Amino acid sequence: MVDRLLLLILFLIGFLTIVAKRNMIKKIFGLNIINAAVVILFVLEGSRIGMDAPISNGEPQQFVDPLPQALMLTAIVIGVCITALSLALAVHLYRIGGTFDIDKVKERLHDGL
Amino acid sequence: MKARIDFRSILALVAILAVLLPILATDTPWPTEPRDYLAEHAEDETGAKNIVSAIYLGYRVFDTMGETIVLLVAVLGTIGILTKVESLVGDTQQTIGTVSAFSLSAEKRRSNRLRTHLLEVVTGKVGPIVLLFGFYVMLYGHLSPGGGFQGGVIIASGIVFLALGNQRGETSHLSNSEKLVHIETIAFLLLVIVSSSGLITGSPFFGNPLDHTAVPVGYIVVLNAVIGLKVGTSMGFLCIAMMGGTD
Repeated sequence: MVDRLLLLILFLIGFLTIVAKRNMIKKIFGLNIINAAVVILFVLEGSRIGMDAPISNGEPQQFVDPLPQALMLTAIVIGVCITALSLALAVHLYRIGGTFDIDKVKERLHDGL
Repeated sequence: MKARIDFRSILALVAILAVLLPILATDTPWPTEPRDYLAEHAEDETGAKNIVSAIYLGYRVFDTMGETIVLLVAVLGTIGILTKVESLVGDTQQTIGTVSAFSLSAEKRRSNRLRTHLLEVVTGKVGPIVLLFGFYVMLYGHLSPGGGFQGGVIIASGIVFLALGNQRGETSHLSNSEKLVHIETIAFLLLVIVSSSGLITGSPFFGNPLDHTAVPVGYIVVLNAVIGLKVGTSMGFLCIAMMGGTD
């Protein structure tokens, strides 16, 4: 229960970073923190039914569920893609607005248009 | 930059808590049927001892192909946006601070403060070892923890190390973004060829052509190697492009 609570706190930290911070780079950090929290939650929950790593050695053994691990592999790669793309967009907005502050970028875009 | 925790943030926090609390409070036991099935059949059906590899290169290989395509699209989008930025900037003097501090080509760098001797010497020496380890993780993914994606990411960090570690502009071929793109394209072509190689023996797309031979695991080794090459060059290319490129 404590581990789930800690992961919830991690998720909320990421969410709060996205909602409350104005710096776009910090918002992207928040996305990454949320991604990490979800990944850890899946791997943790899948590991509750066994003790061994999911590598078979011919003997019957109680290993952890490999399904969420394979799923989270995908999630990690997609997370990296999202991070790269959003960082590139942040750089693009920085070039247009001259700042990483999302509100100021918005104002300057409105002034310019 | 001061955080702006106002009424709306608190409201959003409460809303997300209300969504997440049922997940937190649930006490449904994790199902064991898939684990038991995989423990019993995965090695016979795919040949891989590493069950995670058996899943993402055996049972769920279509998803893996989609994933590599997503990676490709992300690389394309990032490079498209970044090159647009470059053309907007025009002259190289005004590229943004981080790029000019960590840029690979010396004339684009605004200051050499972050490119210390420590960084250059250590990354240059560690780079080849990291590359070797990446290939190990990639090629032994069917036996030990690891696989194409993991090994590919390690290879990408090796490429970044080599790019950071080359002093006074002696570029290695691996930090040349054009060559990386060529390797990535060839890897994707190889992935398509390997995935349709089962058609020769009459098995479906992504069927294992070595299914009834002595080494069915060879298919997973080849897929791991191809995916590792593709992921490694994609990620390495992304990082090098974000550091301003070398050519």
